[in-house]
Amino acid sequence: MQHLTALIIPLLILFIMGHGLYKRVAVYEEFVEGAKEGFTTAVRIIPYLVAILFAIAMFRASGAMEILIDWVGPAFSRVGIPPESLPMAIIRPMTGSGSVGVLAELIQTYGEDSIIVKIAATMFGSTETTLYVLAVYFGAVGIRKTRYALTVGLMADFTGFIAAVVVCYWFFA
Amino acid sequence: MLNYIWAGLVILSIVFALGHDLQDEWEGTYNNGSPIQLSYTKSDTPQDIKLQYRDQSIDVRIDDLNNSREVTIIVDNGLPTLWQRIAKHQSSKDKSTLRAQIINRDPSEKQITLLLPEVHWIKIRAISQAAFDMAEFAVKLAIGLAGIMALWLGLMQIAEKSGLILVFVKLLRPLLRWLFPDIPKDHPALGSISLNLAANVLGLGNAATPLGIKAMQQLQSLNTQKDQASNAMCMFLALNTSSVQLLPPVTLIALMGTQVSELIIPIILATTASTLVAVTAAKLYARPGR
Repeated sequence: MQHLTALIIPLLILFIMGHGLYKRVAVYEEFVEGAKEGFTTAVRIIPYLVAILFAIAMFRASGAMEILIDWVGPAFSRVGIPPESLPMAIIRPMTGSGSVGVLAELIQTYGEDSIIVKIAATMFGSTETTLYVLAVYFGAVGIRKTRYALTVGLMADFTGFIAAVVVCYWFFA
Repeated sequence: MLNYIWAGLVILSIVFALGHDLQDEWEGTYNNGSPIQLSYTKSDTPQDIKLQYRDQSIDVRIDDLNNSREVTIIVDNGLPTLWQRIAKHQSSKDKSTLRAQIINRDPSEKQITLLLPEVHWIKIRAISQAAFDMAEFAVKLAIGLAGIMALWLGLMQIAEKSGLILVFVKLLRPLLRWLFPDIPKDHPALGSISLNLAANVLGLGNAATPLGIKAMQQLQSLNTQKDQASNAMCMFLALNTSSVQLLPPVTLIALMGTQVSELIIPIILATTASTLVAVTAAKLYARPGR
């Protein structure tokens, strides 16, 4: 399985390249055309990153997080959820760039190899920014009555969080 | 909602920091402004003396035992805990030494009275520092993301032009028929939906959003009650927010680097679970009579 996961990305690149060449696509030119968007997207997220990162950094530096984790942590660690992953579970459904900030902060603090970062990263990869997606998608067509969409989305997020914890312990601990 | 949570984080952190620092002031944690009287013994070299603090002996540097106005304490793990903390939080940039003012000396009794630097507003200064540091880090992070995002968006452009994405749409068609029974067989909405889901499955959030908006507009044209979400829309959003991820999101790849490859299988498993729950819930909610 380790070999498989190591090979997925290079093989995908090879496959996309190969298929492009086979279909006589001007691969280099198209690549450059698509890549142009990368920089603008990255620059566009800077204000969001600054906003969320500085607020979270202040929150953590103030010691409030420790008090909060002390409070609710035992209940979570009793069922095996590391309390440090709680900010991700809370912020992830609300903002994509914000959860990038949370994850970046965890990586800086605990390093890529820690179980905390692995759980948080799996949570990040397994769930969506439900509120954001709902606002954008329904907003685009002017729908205000969203019926059961939010409930279903949050159920999916919750399942994703629990599954991330369970799967990470199964794989890495 | 985010407004409140964001503002709450900032306000809470200032309140907590302020509370912490005021408690320190109140309890006199750092003995600010209280001189300590210590006995000393001379050392081999004239610039060094040994201070007797409780049962500890501390090496201290002094230029002239009779005239100098301050002593320099080298910070190491041998210092009393409180002194170490004062050294760490002192306003002086050089944290490796602690300079103490000499208030009084009594060479005949070998007694010296010292005043350590005052320490105030530790947490308040820490949160200001953290705010500036992280603001700076945010830009470094975003610039780092730019390159990796460009790589993936470039590859996706090739996949789109070569028709690889279209192949994906065809593969998904039977599944889509079951998920969206309300959509007519050859409606263009199915194309947009499958492209959006493909982008999601491949972790391309930025490519997925425009396609998803297009799909929503096409679904709205089929909707009978224009101000209310249709079952197809709710199912579409359920799939979007739970989406199985064959490849991790681009941003996760950017953040975790090559480490991300060992997370691919866990993410596939976790998203499979959340997708099953979301689809089941949406199907149950969509039953006639609800």
